[in-house]
Amino acid sequence: MTLPVGGRRMPSPQLGGTGSLADDLYLLAHHERTGRPVLSPRAAGLGLAGALLGELVLADAIAICRSEVVTGASQADDALTAAVLGQVTGEDRTRPVGEWLAFLARTAPGGVAGRLEAAGYLIAVPARPWRPQRWVPVSADCAFAPVTRVKAALNPSRPADAQAVALAGLAEACGLGARLAAWLPPGSRPRMEAAAGRLDAGLREVITATHAAVGAALLAHRI
Amino acid sequence: MSSTRQGARTGRVSRALAADRLGVPAVLSFVLAGVAPLTVAAGVIPTAYATTGLTAIPAAFLVVAVILGVFSAGFMAMARNVTNAGAFYAMIARGLGRPAGVAAALVALLSYSFLQVGLYGALGPAAAAEAAAHLNVHAAWWAWALGGWALVTVLGLARVEITGRVLGVLLSAEVCVIVAESVLGLAHPAGGHLSFATLSPAALGSAGLSTFGVLAVVAVLGFVGFEQAPVLGEEARHPRRTIPAATYTALGMIAVVYAGASWAMAAHTGTSHVAAAAAAQGPGLLFGLSGNAALAQIAPVLFVTSLFAAALSFHNCVWRYAFALGRENVLPAALGRTGGNNIPKTASLAQSATALVVIGGCALTHQNPMARLFFWGGTTGGLGIIILLAATSLAVIAFFARDPRGENTWRRLAAPAIAGFVLTGIAVLAVQHYAILLGVPPANPASWVLPGCYGVVAAAGLGWGLVLKARRPQVYATIGLGPHAITAQPATPAETQ
Repeated sequence: MTLPVGGRRMPSPQLGGTGSLADDLYLLAHHERTGRPVLSPRAAGLGLAGALLGELVLADAIAICRSEVVTGASQADDALTAAVLGQVTGEDRTRPVGEWLAFLARTAPGGVAGRLEAAGYLIAVPARPWRPQRWVPVSADCAFAPVTRVKAALNPSRPADAQAVALAGLAEACGLGARLAAWLPPGSRPRMEAAAGRLDAGLREVITATHAAVGAALLAHRI
Repeated sequence: MSSTRQGARTGRVSRALAADRLGVPAVLSFVLAGVAPLTVAAGVIPTAYATTGLTAIPAAFLVVAVILGVFSAGFMAMARNVTNAGAFYAMIARGLGRPAGVAAALVALLSYSFLQVGLYGALGPAAAAEAAAHLNVHAAWWAWALGGWALVTVLGLARVEITGRVLGVLLSAEVCVIVAESVLGLAHPAGGHLSFATLSPAALGSAGLSTFGVLAVVAVLGFVGFEQAPVLGEEARHPRRTIPAATYTALGMIAVVYAGASWAMAAHTGTSHVAAAAAAQGPGLLFGLSGNAALAQIAPVLFVTSLFAAALSFHNCVWRYAFALGRENVLPAALGRTGGNNIPKTASLAQSATALVVIGGCALTHQNPMARLFFWGGTTGGLGIIILLAATSLAVIAFFARDPRGENTWRRLAAPAIAGFVLTGIAVLAVQHYAILLGVPPANPASWVLPGCYGVVAAAGLGWGLVLKARRPQVYATIGLGPHAITAQPATPAETQ
């Protein structure tokens, strides 16, 4: 079922999600009904920045070489990641993953929210004098669905999907581990913490850099 | 794979990151936000006068400021060259070895814990006095201390830190009160003659070297927090300029305010009477300097808020240390995990539990909260800081001896050598004469139990570091890296496609 908005039919959210790593992480990082963030803004920004880089790694559009981001063989899959890739290619030199996380963290939440809105998963609530603009999930079930994908990724009896494992690793890295543990089977937390170790080097490095950046921001009183 | 090429957005990342960086005012505000000047001026200084009977406290602040300034030269040079800067244990690990780093980490945890818990010994009585005077509510000091503890615990779990703006307003108000009281107090000296005797460095050794050691520990309390500037090294716009500028400015401001306040108390009351007056009046020794009724009303309220802000600030400092050590797996990993809204609940609750036990113990054993919990806790915490400063000086020398890294002789050798020698001497003198610091007879067990705590935890830390080296080399290899420890851990083979 689609919803007409200004004469134009909007896509409907699906339980399978958009298929984008950052979209799933955004939904995990916000309450499935109210859209209220469950992370500090800085941690959410770093996590989503890591997820956008992760999307580009999965698409082979970038690679991580000696802890620095370099361009890969492929193109980005959508406008948002194409914009990120354009920023990478537009720099005069390669930069460490940590610098890209800090740079992209400023705009990643807004960019990913906009992409989810265009896909019909979020609806924008205009800003008020006492609060900024926020996004509310269209479907609480679809907003909660990424939890099932994390659960599947942590099931040792099932074949592991790199994107789902990366989602689990990034969720733990930016501080969602405790929240997710409430919905996952006992013993999931250590598997979540070890998730990044099961990935190839590029994704693993993005996740560990995200984990370090969030911890460093906490110690530097920036969270 | 291909590397990036020249493009129209050259330097965009650099510009964006630079815009988010902090300048000197922001770093200075961060350092001073945790200083809580009234806590020292109205709490530590009068109690020190009363407990030790020594009068050269103003000179101690000035001399210690110079010592810390010399220390800072090498400290900041090394901070530029290590990750997890601002944490003493990280520098000591890099300079003196990882087992020494673990020992230093536990000493630091103990020091900041002493400092935090000790604050409740002043917060309780101060809040009780204000409540009795203005609200006609009469309750024991420990009830108010537990109330403050509960509020710190809740705010620590909710991550509702007192905003920088509120802290800035409180800081400004406190400094204004201290300066006003001090200036007006100096304008009316005892006997009509302004004495500079307590400002003279010669007074520090008037009763022998023991005087210097004891007074230096008291003075260091006033400067705790100055060492936090390098924490923001990675966030600063121009670290080589911003961090030193903020550090030296903070040292200068702190020294002037506290030396001035303590001088005013002695000059206004009379050098030979200040100890007795401090024993009788406590924080009122500062509040009554001006004779101004409005100041006398405002200052005690600001004293309570100052103590609360300091308690929350040190609570955050302790859990941050525990969090960093948990991330390295030197301490249980649970301490390095965060919950909702990135709250390190385990580390925060662990610190709160420690404070609750100590407050309860003091209440049940009917200890004097100001003299015992506040002053003993605070000065013992200060001794720990001095030990860490001395060890860090040695670490700086050892670190740069392996590779000068372009630092000049003053920063990598002369300054840390001078500071290390003086700080070690202060620590030794203070321990030898700890009974004077505590205001107890030499045979009192507290005079060796309290400083002895550091020996115990340091030995435990050394031992644990050696155990990690033997049994968990991966964890041992990341000691001192803090949140960056995870990036240095080796990977397991990939299992996914």
